[in-house]
Amino acid sequence: MITRHQLTRLIRGFEMRKWALLAVAALAVVACGTSSSSGPTTGSTITLGAPLGLTGSLTKESTLTKQGYDLWLDWINAKGGIVVNNVKHPVTIKYYDDTSNANQSAVLMQKLITEDKANFLLGPYGSAATATDAAIAEQNAIPMVEANGAAQSIFNQGYKYTFGVLSPANKYLQGVIDLALTLTPRPASVAMLSADDNFSLEVANAVVAYATTKGMSVAVFKKYKNGTTNLTAEVQAAKAVNPDIVLNSGHLQEAIAINKAAKEQKLNAKLFAYSVGPSTPDFIAALGKDANFVFDGSQWTPQVKYTPAFYLTVAQYVAAYKAKYPGLGDPDYHVAESTAACLALERAIENAGSLDPKKVRDALAGLDVTVFFGQVKFDARGINIYKPMVVEQIQDGVHHTVYPQDIADAKPMYPTPAWDQR
Amino acid sequence: MADFVQLVILGLLAGGIYVAVGVGFGLVWGVLNIVNLSHGALVIIGGYITWQLFSALHIDPFLTLPVDAVALFVFGYLLQRGLINRIIRAPLLFTFLLTFGVNLVIVNILLLIFGSDFRSVTPSYSGQGIELGPIVIPYVSLFSLAVAIALSAALAFILNRTRIGLAINAIAADRDAAQLVGIDLRHAYAVTFGLGAACAGVAGGLIAMIQAITPTAGEPYTLQAFVVVILGGLGRVSATVVGGLAFGLVEAFGQSIPGSGSVFANAIAFGLMVLVLVTRPQGLLGRLR
Amino acid sequence: MIARAASIDRWRRLFVIVGAILVAYALLAPITSLDAAQSANVPLLADRLWFRIATIIAMFVVMATAWNIIGGITGYAAFGNVAFFGIGAYTTGMLVAKAKWPFLVALPLAPVVAAAFAALVGLPLLRLRGHYFAVASLGVGVAVGELVQNIDYNGQPVFGGASGLFLPIFAIDNRGLFFFYLMVAVAAVAIAVTWRVLRSRFGYGLIAIRENEEAAAVLGVNTTAYKVAAFALAAALTGLAGGIFSQWNVFINQDNAFPIEYNVQMILMALLGGTGTVFGPAAGAVLLQLLIQFLGGSLPISVDIPFVSVDARPIVAQVILGVLLVVVVIFVPRGVIDFFGGSSRLSWSYLRQSLRETSL
Repeated sequence: MITRHQLTRLIRGFEMRKWALLAVAALAVVACGTSSSSGPTTGSTITLGAPLGLTGSLTKESTLTKQGYDLWLDWINAKGGIVVNNVKHPVTIKYYDDTSNANQSAVLMQKLITEDKANFLLGPYGSAATATDAAIAEQNAIPMVEANGAAQSIFNQGYKYTFGVLSPANKYLQGVIDLALTLTPRPASVAMLSADDNFSLEVANAVVAYATTKGMSVAVFKKYKNGTTNLTAEVQAAKAVNPDIVLNSGHLQEAIAINKAAKEQKLNAKLFAYSVGPSTPDFIAALGKDANFVFDGSQWTPQVKYTPAFYLTVAQYVAAYKAKYPGLGDPDYHVAESTAACLALERAIENAGSLDPKKVRDALAGLDVTVFFGQVKFDARGINIYKPMVVEQIQDGVHHTVYPQDIADAKPMYPTPAWDQR
Repeated sequence: MADFVQLVILGLLAGGIYVAVGVGFGLVWGVLNIVNLSHGALVIIGGYITWQLFSALHIDPFLTLPVDAVALFVFGYLLQRGLINRIIRAPLLFTFLLTFGVNLVIVNILLLIFGSDFRSVTPSYSGQGIELGPIVIPYVSLFSLAVAIALSAALAFILNRTRIGLAINAIAADRDAAQLVGIDLRHAYAVTFGLGAACAGVAGGLIAMIQAITPTAGEPYTLQAFVVVILGGLGRVSATVVGGLAFGLVEAFGQSIPGSGSVFANAIAFGLMVLVLVTRPQGLLGRLR
Repeated sequence: MIARAASIDRWRRLFVIVGAILVAYALLAPITSLDAAQSANVPLLADRLWFRIATIIAMFVVMATAWNIIGGITGYAAFGNVAFFGIGAYTTGMLVAKAKWPFLVALPLAPVVAAAFAALVGLPLLRLRGHYFAVASLGVGVAVGELVQNIDYNGQPVFGGASGLFLPIFAIDNRGLFFFYLMVAVAAVAIAVTWRVLRSRFGYGLIAIRENEEAAAVLGVNTTAYKVAAFALAAALTGLAGGIFSQWNVFINQDNAFPIEYNVQMILMALLGGTGTVFGPAAGAVLLQLLIQFLGGSLPISVDIPFVSVDARPIVAQVILGVLLVVVVIFVPRGVIDFFGGSSRLSWSYLRQSLRETSL
């Protein structure tokens, strides 16, 4: 039992604490709500930003994307920055982890725009996050240059502020068909396997239509669940029709699964070509000798021969990558396309002669420049339909470019020998 | 006909992996009443141990499986003893949440250690198999199925023939009564979880040979473990074996539906699970408890 | 004794006051973003980032509060409520994107469709108990998401397929403010519904079912009807949040309309705040979302994690999130509401007591 006096003291003490707490809370609230204002833009640092899946299921690809952005960042800052009307603006890129979640990517895009005052945006990894973020960029009227969302559905929405430097999904495997038409004995039938995500289906539908117009027959077209790790039944279905060409449209995990199942089930086609996967070192590491002879459609390879208007040549780029990231081998095309997004933005800012988002957007729309990655030019929708895809083949554990012929560094090894004769 | 036989064989072979994944999950669920959302993460720890031993020391992956089992047993024992035992008397859902947090921790620590590269174990005999006319039986899948069956048999032996196994069974029947007859509940719970984790570790070693693994690769297996355990029926090892093989068959036949049918493999599997739950909650083979 | 009771009472009052001020601030700050306020030189207290985060928080308040009706009050651990969110999102999304309905006309159908679906699957599912119900509802959640993405008719995807659905950007001034208040209104409805339910015959019936279903039936509660009604009510609220989400986010697909991790998150929030209470799930939703956003670096205040390389920081942040979840689940099994104004307060003895109650 306490006395009345003690009680009064307690209450008074509590009242004091209450007001102190309230004051702290109010301060904290004000600090949360207001945002710091940025200084004048001329001569100042240009802030770019990108949410990436630095944790979660897209970590691998997001890491490659970040490498591509960072390679350019080192180079541009070594030069002193982007030159706008004879003023050099150094560049920073702010990254956030969206935990491979598209909804969180949207929050962080808004954070970059509102809080970090990002002048321009670089894309996240993946079609879902890119679609969500494109809507954010549009509503804020800030240009976003992206390198990792190839699904055309994003670009069919009439958005004005989203630009993709990469060739759209429908081009991914067309080069393989073009290549196949030059080979003897000429392949006549195709088995198409595809994951059911939007990017993979666009790739598959386009190549099936294309092969048909080139006189090939599509003997089987099977879709499977994105992320399936056991594709033996799909390979069985392909084997049943004894196709000349086996095409897969999916990702690294599925490409490995298809190749393993093809060997186990003795699916002996003349040509195996997969959309995404074989271009990464992980594919060769996972499959060893069995990775040989596999073709893939690639946005870029270390063997392409483009004459860049600025930035590094292809050879210099490969060397710069190996110097910054030793032990990882040649840069994958995810890295190269991400660097290309930065280059497109850089050149557009220079052309605009301004950091005004609207003017840079217009400069992006009118951009036409060739860099180590190839021609960068956007159609009315904002996607780069002008750069060709190239075809790679893994030969003796090494990636070689085999098509188009004018940039190839090796002849295609064809036909693929049967599994028991390797 | 040969196609049909091949499909059945493929389904059963694929089922081996599901048996291995499901049997530990089912044990922990059935006995401890814990739905372990970190089961897939435990599987992937086993996968990384096998990968590390194979790539650094060139040990045959099947020989690394006992290492997976022992390492994961110890890990699982400590996890249960240190953390999960603390909320056993809390409402049922708390185990979901605790193991969800544990899953987040394990996956991201794996990411710190191993990075996000896809890792895969490819022994020299990978991709080869027994050929019986048109029918092919790959060695890796065949051995995996054998390992999964042996694992289940070993688990059944431990549960039915050993002292600790009888204690675990007693807990499953009535926890409080088990305590009254002098069973050290904390230890017995930890051993049970350890056994479940050991099974997960072995499953992970097998999975590393079949697919490329990343730190997040275990998550689908947690979901599949639900289906496997429910299909077979909770509470018996043999039921989980049936559930795993049935799941493999369902998947194989789902995938063989022409055209776009195989995209529904997941929907079919989960729909079947719901159907089994609604019409036969004790599972295909299980008994009601 | 009196002192202890009085001090608890004061604590409770303090938290109610602080909470009320914070809520009032959150509700009034958006007004400063209006043109009229800006031209009167009122400081801007709510920018677009504020709106985006606040709308997401309100969305989770709806989901956690709705889950509480079936999971907390009725005691049926639904683990697939994200299906209702997705169904609501796709109902509105289809009507707006394909049928060209105005958003506000399409929105009311989202809860209707979600509730109808819940009633349909609830009839067989709610006969199951405990884990079995949880797993069955999870199965329904997964299967629905898969079907929505993959159903074709004549070779054309019915629901937008893998490409998802793009809705036209909603043409309205102060878009952020509009969607924030819309989502907050739904959150308020969800909380009000919970409050009303807990004070009604219906609510007593649901609690009776949670405590002892057989006894409730003996007492004359039509358990099937009550359970299905609670499930449908939760689905309607969740579906409504989904419907708003589709137009607010502009783009929906299987990934963002049926994210399996939301199933875990909404339960986590309800448990964190305190199940079965009116404000607990809402408090849990606010706290957990703020924590997730804080660790993800999207809040204006952030803390650098020391001793860790820049590349590893996001990963370590996820590890910290996991550890915090584990700690909270172990030490605060009755939810934060319980000591922020309930019958006890945060102290070592409270934590020890909680641990003793739940430990083996």
